[in-house]
Amino acid sequence: MNEEQLIASAKNGDRKALSELVKKYEQTVYSFAFKVCRDREKAENMMQETFYSMIKSLHQFDGNSKLSTWLYRIVVNHCLMEARKSSRYTFVEQETDESLFDEKYIADWSTLPIKNLETNELRTILDAAIDKLQPEYRVVFALRDVEEYSTEETAKILELSVPAVKSRLHRARAFLRNEITKAFLQ
Amino acid sequence: MNGKNISCKEVMSHICESLSEEMNSPKCAAIKAHLETCEGCKSYFTSVEMTIDLYKKCTETLSDDVHKKLMAFLELTD
Repeated sequence: MNEEQLIASAKNGDRKALSELVKKYEQTVYSFAFKVCRDREKAENMMQETFYSMIKSLHQFDGNSKLSTWLYRIVVNHCLMEARKSSRYTFVEQETDESLFDEKYIADWSTLPIKNLETNELRTILDAAIDKLQPEYRVVFALRDVEEYSTEETAKILELSVPAVKSRLHRARAFLRNEITKAFLQ
Repeated sequence: MNGKNISCKEVMSHICESLSEEMNSPKCAAIKAHLETCEGCKSYFTSVEMTIDLYKKCTETLSDDVHKKLMAFLELTD
């Protein structure tokens, strides 16, 4: 069965078709949730909630977008709700362009010992940097840059305007880059 | 840093906006020209690309155990 047939069967209560859809997208959803939450347990919970929501609302899926796009929208909402429970973020929104694009951050990365780092050390630095970024910016970065959705597709998934996506993206990139630079220069 | 009628701050801000997108507009042409001659901005461009690359590589694979827990949670069978 192709995806369209699987969706139609699943809507008619075919548990096997539902199971096939879950298996097709579980890695995508889990991996995305991890990129946003940076925590295995939370990513697992977000994935469970996402598929639970999918099963509950599949009858509302009209096929106007891809199922993957619809699932990204669901997982993003769950991740944002979870992330908002915490208020430890650096408010990148309040940082001025002056501070985000300060020339002090133009360190030559070819001199930073990135390649010498153990994977775990690098992961700690990346986790710490993204952990400080507001979730609304994190999801834009994860969709546009990591999952490689276009700016327009990212805007559609997040129900934002294209200029809003561009603005959040450029600030998120600059913020993360600066945080990584700071970690290496400490 | 040097520039061709465009400041480094403008370049940095625009790099962040247009990285991996088509760079055909007149402004992007000016940015390209600036990047060719400005070491600081070139280095900034590379570092933003590297930041994205690092996050892309840092992925997590779903284990069999997590998969089984998901199926049990949803009351589905393999």
